[in-house]
Amino acid sequence: MEAFVQLLEGFNEALTPINLLFALLGVLLGTAVGVLPGIGPAMTVALLLPITYVLEPTAAFIMFAGIYYGGMYGGSTTSILLNTPGESSSIMTALEGNKMAKAGRGAAALGTAAIGSFVAGTIATLLLALVAPTVVELAISIGPADYFALALLAFLAVATVLGSSPLRGLASLCVGLFLGLVGTDLLTGQQRFTFGLPQLADGIDVVIVAVALFAVGEALHVASRLRHGPVQVMSSKGSFMTGQDFRRSWKPWLRGTAFGFPFGALPAGGAEIPTFLSYATERRLTKHPEEFGHGAIEGVAGPEAANNAAAAGVLVPLLTLGLPTSATAAILLAAFQGYGIQPGPTLLTTESTLVWTLIASLFIGNVMLLVLNLPLVGIWVKLLKIPRPYLYAGILLFASLGSYAVNAQPLDLVILLVLGLLGFVMRRFGWPVAPAVIGLILGPIAETNLRRALAISEGDLTTLVDSWFSRVVLLVALLAVALPPLLKLTRRRKEAVG
Amino acid sequence: MTAPPASERARALPAEPTTERGPRRGELVLSLLLVALGTYLVLDARGIAVPGSSNTVGPRFFPYLVGGATVLVGAVLAIRILRGDRGPEEDGEDIDPDAPTSWRAVGIIAVAFLAHALLINVVGWPLAVTSMFGVVAWALGARGIVRPLVAGGITSVVIWLLFVKALGVVLPGGILLELATAWL
Repeated sequence: MEAFVQLLEGFNEALTPINLLFALLGVLLGTAVGVLPGIGPAMTVALLLPITYVLEPTAAFIMFAGIYYGGMYGGSTTSILLNTPGESSSIMTALEGNKMAKAGRGAAALGTAAIGSFVAGTIATLLLALVAPTVVELAISIGPADYFALALLAFLAVATVLGSSPLRGLASLCVGLFLGLVGTDLLTGQQRFTFGLPQLADGIDVVIVAVALFAVGEALHVASRLRHGPVQVMSSKGSFMTGQDFRRSWKPWLRGTAFGFPFGALPAGGAEIPTFLSYATERRLTKHPEEFGHGAIEGVAGPEAANNAAAAGVLVPLLTLGLPTSATAAILLAAFQGYGIQPGPTLLTTESTLVWTLIASLFIGNVMLLVLNLPLVGIWVKLLKIPRPYLYAGILLFASLGSYAVNAQPLDLVILLVLGLLGFVMRRFGWPVAPAVIGLILGPIAETNLRRALAISEGDLTTLVDSWFSRVVLLVALLAVALPPLLKLTRRRKEAVG
Repeated sequence: MTAPPASERARALPAEPTTERGPRRGELVLSLLLVALGTYLVLDARGIAVPGSSNTVGPRFFPYLVGGATVLVGAVLAIRILRGDRGPEEDGEDIDPDAPTSWRAVGIIAVAFLAHALLINVVGWPLAVTSMFGVVAWALGARGIVRPLVAGGITSVVIWLLFVKALGVVLPGGILLELATAWL
């Protein structure tokens, strides 16, 4: 009940004309950047983060909420109307959405994606508001050792569960942990791995690493294998959703939400697994199995809802524990830190107004997105047709703007380029870049908690498995690493026998 | 991705490896660099000063941990790669998986970006970024050089005006632009 009152206060704060304007601006920017091909939600947030630096925290987070959800909406438009594979969490949407657009049902596909995103986003944000205070109550008693266990779980889950090659995920994580070590040690003030450069004493800024790995790395990767020839954008025209489309869509929307939110909220979060599960479920439950693979509306409605619900779910560990479980969440955490706010169990009490305004803004942004997206889709389609040389040159222009604005330091741009080249080779060899961003931001937090725990126990390592909480979490972390190879091994053995 | 031994893999996927021998060697280098990074972490961590008489865990502990893990991951990955494991290259809307790698485009873009980084404090952000924009667009196959330069020029000046004059971000504008907009 208390949460409800606070949420109303959040709405009170977010519904002032000036804050509504910031929400609108965030939603428009988020959709516009998110719809650009090659730019996923994480890169959208990273590129637009520096813009919010000039605003005061409340306005910045209201805008950020809009950007976050706007990026998700924009991404689904891209995957439906472009007949080329995009990022992993929207592959499922693209599968059926493409076929629908090709059959002249583009408007219906975009409609079920937008309304599904709205339904899922609203329900999941409501769940976030309900669950967050409870998680905080549970989390308020956890100690540094428990927190270290949680961080370890997030590291290993992100590195091994997401992506196709666990080992490459771990390699990427190691790179991120190293980048997180550069700078001044928080507890003793010693400089580490700064190569004697005073500019590195404060560490490497998260914005620079994120922009480098996502934006510059992607631009270079695309440059190395650019698809030439005219851009094929499918028509968004055709009749809008019919009554039958609605009847076929509403259950997948709800089921997708049910998959997306819990998976997003788990430390092994992310949107890939729930969208995949949602697609598989809809395919099994449908009354029109013959349409799957040829443009079944359920195959767009379910995964799209799961995708958005997961995006809200990711905010649960972020806002209650300070634990980022996706690259986007890691960048959001960096935004909090940029304002001197450390997310964690105390956030809901110390920054209560800010958090509830943020949650209220998610609701508002979601409504705006629904209203904006259905009529404005023609504009977004035009964005899809931007000639690629200009698009990627523009991405680099914005990368330069954002990274230079952080410290006004040309060296940052050189670091940006070096890490961008790293991001390029990582993409080339199938190393996922998200674990690096999470390692960078969560590494220092993990180290601080580890050392606090060991300081309390006077160096006794058994303190790390002292509580039930840490034991369970570490066991799950162990499973996250050991299970995938074991499963593969048994599967191969079966194949060898059969 | 668990790697079947090279021979088994060659049988399963006969068409794949022939044309692309490059990436595998490249990734081997990358994984060895990871081993080198881990070694550097461990060695350099020994030089971090540990202040005072603290008998608790100091600033060297975590670097040792990360360094050790990095060496281990890099080494295992290197062995895997030698045995024929290969990561799937990332997909993207604008990526043509069958296109040959254009090192020329990557090289030109990297050099243009480096040049613009060094030029910002000399000629100002709008001019530096405009030339970078023009060169990148040209390297990616935009027609002509005038249109990219005009597009980049307009974008960068508008952004500069918005961010510097309206939002107060620190971004050198170059002498000309700063003089021309001094009245704002």
